[in-house]
Amino acid sequence: MESMKPNIPPLKIAKSNSNLIELNTISDDSKLVPGRFYSTLSQPEMTPPMTPLGTTAHNMEQEQQEQPEPQEAPRAVFHNYLRAFYPFHPAGNVSPSTVTLPLEQGDIILVHSVHTNGWADGTLLDSGNRGWLPTNYCEAYDQLQMRPLLKALTDFWDIIRGGCGSSLKDFGNQDLMRGPIAGVRFLLEKSECLTRESLLVRKYDGLRRIRKALLSDLSSLVKTAKRFQDVANGTPAEDEVEAILDEMLLKAFKIVTRGVRFLDVWNEEVGLTRTIAELEGANDSHSQYDLPPTPASESFNIVDVPDDRNESRLLNRSRMDQSRASIRTEMLDHNPRPISVSTKRISVSHRISYSGPSSAVRSQNLASERLGTSYDAFLGVLGSFIGLHMQSRSSTELVVTTQQAVESCRALLNVVETVCEHDGQRTMLLEEAREAMCEKLSDLVHAARDVFRPASGQEDDLIFMPDEGKRLVDAATDCVRAAGTCLAKARLVLEQIGDIELDPVETGTQELPGIADSQEPADTPSEEKPQEISLRLPPPPLQIPNSTYSPATPALTDATTPSSFQSHLNSSTNHSALSSLPNSAILPTHLENMSFSSYDSGYRESHPKSDVSETFSRGVTSTGSSFTYNSHLRDSEMSGVSRTSTRATSPDISGSFNQPSLKESVSYSTLAEENEETEAHLLEKTYAHELIYKEGQVMGGSLRALIEKLTAHQSTPDALFVSTFYLTFRLFATPLEFAEALTERFEYIGDTPHAAGPVRLRVYNIFKGWLESHWRHDRDNDALDFVVNFANTRLVVELPTAGKRLADLAEKVSAVHGPVVPRLVSSMGKTNTAIAQYIHPDTPLPVPIIGKKESHLLKQWKTGDAAITILDFDPLELARQLTIKESRIFCSILPEELLDTEWMRKSGSLAVNVRAMSTLSTDLAHLVADSILYLEEPKKRAATIKHWVKIANKCLELNNYDSLMAIICSLNLSMISRLKRTWDIVSQKTKTSLEHLRTIVDVSRNYAELRKRLQNHVPPCLPFVGTYLTDLTFVDHGNQSLRTLPTDEGEMAVINFDKHMKTARIISELQRFQIPYRLTEVPELQTWMQNELVRVRSNGETTAQTFYRRSLVLEPREGSRSGTNLQAQAAAQAAAQPQPESNTSTILENAKDKFDFLSWTYPSKPKSVATHG
Amino acid sequence: MRPQREYHIVVLGAGGVGKSCLTEAYDFTAQFVQNVWIESYDPTIEDSYRKQIEVDGRQCILEILDTAGTEQFTAMRELYMKQGQGFLLVFSITSASSLNELSELREQIIRIKDDEKVPLVIVGNKSDLEDDRAVPRARAFGLSQSWGNAPYYETSARRRANVNEVFVDLCRQIIRKDLEGSGSSSDSNRKREGPGRDRKRDNRTQRRRGPCVIL
Repeated sequence: MESMKPNIPPLKIAKSNSNLIELNTISDDSKLVPGRFYSTLSQPEMTPPMTPLGTTAHNMEQEQQEQPEPQEAPRAVFHNYLRAFYPFHPAGNVSPSTVTLPLEQGDIILVHSVHTNGWADGTLLDSGNRGWLPTNYCEAYDQLQMRPLLKALTDFWDIIRGGCGSSLKDFGNQDLMRGPIAGVRFLLEKSECLTRESLLVRKYDGLRRIRKALLSDLSSLVKTAKRFQDVANGTPAEDEVEAILDEMLLKAFKIVTRGVRFLDVWNEEVGLTRTIAELEGANDSHSQYDLPPTPASESFNIVDVPDDRNESRLLNRSRMDQSRASIRTEMLDHNPRPISVSTKRISVSHRISYSGPSSAVRSQNLASERLGTSYDAFLGVLGSFIGLHMQSRSSTELVVTTQQAVESCRALLNVVETVCEHDGQRTMLLEEAREAMCEKLSDLVHAARDVFRPASGQEDDLIFMPDEGKRLVDAATDCVRAAGTCLAKARLVLEQIGDIELDPVETGTQELPGIADSQEPADTPSEEKPQEISLRLPPPPLQIPNSTYSPATPALTDATTPSSFQSHLNSSTNHSALSSLPNSAILPTHLENMSFSSYDSGYRESHPKSDVSETFSRGVTSTGSSFTYNSHLRDSEMSGVSRTSTRATSPDISGSFNQPSLKESVSYSTLAEENEETEAHLLEKTYAHELIYKEGQVMGGSLRALIEKLTAHQSTPDALFVSTFYLTFRLFATPLEFAEALTERFEYIGDTPHAAGPVRLRVYNIFKGWLESHWRHDRDNDALDFVVNFANTRLVVELPTAGKRLADLAEKVSAVHGPVVPRLVSSMGKTNTAIAQYIHPDTPLPVPIIGKKESHLLKQWKTGDAAITILDFDPLELARQLTIKESRIFCSILPEELLDTEWMRKSGSLAVNVRAMSTLSTDLAHLVADSILYLEEPKKRAATIKHWVKIANKCLELNNYDSLMAIICSLNLSMISRLKRTWDIVSQKTKTSLEHLRTIVDVSRNYAELRKRLQNHVPPCLPFVGTYLTDLTFVDHGNQSLRTLPTDEGEMAVINFDKHMKTARIISELQRFQIPYRLTEVPELQTWMQNELVRVRSNGETTAQTFYRRSLVLEPREGSRSGTNLQAQAAAQAAAQPQPESNTSTILENAKDKFDFLSWTYPSKPKSVATHG
Repeated sequence: MRPQREYHIVVLGAGGVGKSCLTEAYDFTAQFVQNVWIESYDPTIEDSYRKQIEVDGRQCILEILDTAGTEQFTAMRELYMKQGQGFLLVFSITSASSLNELSELREQIIRIKDDEKVPLVIVGNKSDLEDDRAVPRARAFGLSQSWGNAPYYETSARRRANVNEVFVDLCRQIIRKDLEGSGSSSDSNRKREGPGRDRKRDNRTQRRRGPCVIL
């Protein structure tokens, strides 16, 4: 047996529209495969054929057939999680440098990367081991209910293994715990097992246990995280941190593994039957009224088709035998881990049961589509059929699964048949394949019949004969293989003849008898073929999975989680077990329709015992007494419905129905009593899954999720987060929406008693802070009534004092214009300003350097008796007064002025202070130019330049970068810098000093120098506002306001909170410096300066041009009328001609002139050198 | 191999038309810098405005200076312009006034650079908003002609249409200028650059190289 293992035919390999196959196909190119994998290959005995390369060798035929398959166009999607479909036990002698990851069926793997050759680097969640694994052994695991949990784990991994420093803090904040918690919550919510009291939990013991284990895993993780918090808050040793992080990761793995198992069990116990019940409900009209009851004779024909084929097609047999045996080996191999085997199957088929309706929505009518879906369904059914028969003990299940297997075969054949009909030339090829498949199907049917025959007449449950079982499995396996061939051929044909449109969905089933009819002459109906007979009933198409899976439940669970409830079902030879009820409802239909099955008698013997079920489902009972097909069908439908409805309404079904299990569950629940609080604690309602994290930071989220974060109770909210909210929420929500979201939070936290108190207090505090310091009368007044109402009706009930206070506050807000409490927004910057120089309040302010002479001059100027210039004052004092002036405006900049490029608004801009800053800066620059350009003598101009450089230096000393920028800017203006004669007189010392200042305000490299200086600057300081404005503009336009968050329904757009955080961070950076200088104002000097600035401004828009003209007048360049200076004239002439020609001397002059000028303007530029050369 | 050159590109656009056209200019600058639609753009990083590109087999580093947000600091404009070796003059095809303001910017550039042939590209942005077009193409081409056939591109920052082309064109102009200045003695360079591409430009190159050769 063992030696046959390598020949295990891959069930899945033929499933050609799977991503995994694509990987296989890629890997066919052996050159792609790193050498180290060859060793694996060279051990065909040890390595199953499914390894990427092995596939080539062992499944060449299928591979070839699949290659032309037209649907393989889409590229493989990267899946974060895979689930092992087959066990993978690499040979021991694989090169030591290659770490391969042994897999067991059902294992979940977190994938890090996938090599093009089909091997993936993954971590096995069961063990935490990492290594290479063959992706074609696996399939993507992406169950809807598990998605948030899986995503949480991915995030978890990324943060822990991504190893960013901030993660320490995040763990401390317990933020990261919210992901797994929300994930588990989501899982339980979706599976209706959120509370311990929920019906499903009470009813299904297996479910309850796994749920409990899951929660205890979760609680363990949370505990570890708390411990980590303690450790991280201290001064942890690195390895200690590492150890705990590892532990947390493993625990998170465990949670996911458990979650997966939970979902498996759930799917077995509840999900499928329910889905099917729903689907049946939807299809009710069709199945009940639209489909005419098919005469039995017709359906008999169908079944016999394969019989005939069987005889004519013995050729294929020998080939199949091999693989058949090996499949069996595989199946037996899996017995040690039955749960994963069967759950695997279940999960596959579960997906299929969903795909039914969804693909119907799509272009179901395309032949290729139909082919794919029916084949998927077929594989799913057959897979579970094979799995079941290895373990099954209940004949009911066998009957029903066999029936469904055959039906799904037929559905597939049907499509193939249609394709055949459309095919002009190649009919033979496809026909052969189809016939082969028919043959296998008939084998299967025969095998099934034989299995049941010996059991007929016995009162006990049918005993499953191992030999018969093997034969059955073999037959099924053959069927699968034949179907694979058939599918590949059909696709080939389709590719050649082009896709065809098939009749609407229902046709598939309706055609069934028709086709069979046309192909085969009627065979005699046989009493000995119960399965076949049941097959003949045209079921509503979606019934297929229904009856297939519900019976699977008891058997599988039984094998894995023996419980009193389950064992009760199985030990009593009663088929009317709760979970198989729908089947029993259907089954009798078929049985009675033929009315004389040997099996039937057995069944009916046991039927009376199912009286109990009467309380539960009348459908069953009526089924027993009814004899017409139609009524049966309807009844069975009814039973399905009633079953669902009872489950929803009366919680005591399982109790009345099944005493023992109730008892046991009661005893369990007392045990679990102590865990109740923990459970409620863990499962608090949360929208945390609607948040996007990156490196521990909230990047985005829905409003309610962000509000939840804002009012989280486990951790003190991050100051920046709160500030960001207050500052920017109006950009993503109206004030009313904000208020409503807060109250919603206030309400739903009530479900989580232990957290309700603190959270509600937080909600109140958020309201309070808003009203007190962040209320914007221009925007927020709409929400005031709502807030008042909330305070008076809700808040006052839960927190009386708070409610009253909030109401009072709201009243004040409506009365006062302006913040009730002086705005402390800047505290978000200022809290960090503890580093600010501490100056004792009593420290005397620096004495202004205004002597008698200066005072006198100012007085004279005031009366108009004297003209004064900057040269009359000390540079330091001028710098101080400038600084005072600017600082006053700077400190009054409100954060909202900086939002949404408010300052750019052409009209009605609220950003008055930002505007004032830019105006002042521009005015100052113009004043500098003006003071230089209106001096006739170069010497005086040079002196003024020198004075401005000194002032600029003093500004630097005062950390007034804004004024510094303006002054340097101005000295750099071309109208100033071109004044060669002036600069000639300026001392080298001044030039050097200017050069130094210039490097500080250098705009290149994104103001690198300036930014560096401001980074850890201690206030008081006046930063250049322009950099903030640029940054804010870029953040605003470079980041979209929404992000997409993948969800179960696809994706949802959530607020790009990161953008707002970035904005807030920049604003807070600016606010950090909003601290007034301790300087003495000299009002007279201020007045003079203001007067000068206004004078310059009055020149208006044309200032620059005026200055330039003035500059030309002072030191002309063009063919000058005033040309007294020869040199200047020459220079001007040269300059007048943009493309200097042969006047060598002029060029020389010109070049020299340019060089002198440029040499200090661009000391480092190659260009200036070039000009010179 | 020549050492990598570093070129400064200045993005200028009409102020005072609200954020409309400039907004777009920022966007596409940002986009160009990152070359992908950045999910999370951080402008405070020094490197966020630097980009290495290859133009005609030549590696160079572009440093992009965008005046975004500081248009009101008019005195600052010259400072930016002095930095630049090449200029993107951006207007919005939906705003006629934004086009008008370019002339003043160009005059200022020429004044500062003391060069009529300073590398520049006229960019009519928001080409995706064809319905709101306020500047006929002919007008923009007219401006381009009056500026000595300065290249004119219509871009859509939003759709990332033509954005890269604009930068490559400008970069090419700068490189050519760079070569004719510093590489005047290097014949190999001239030959490599030589015939086959832009004849008109080549002529100009020849003409302008003249005096240097004499030197």
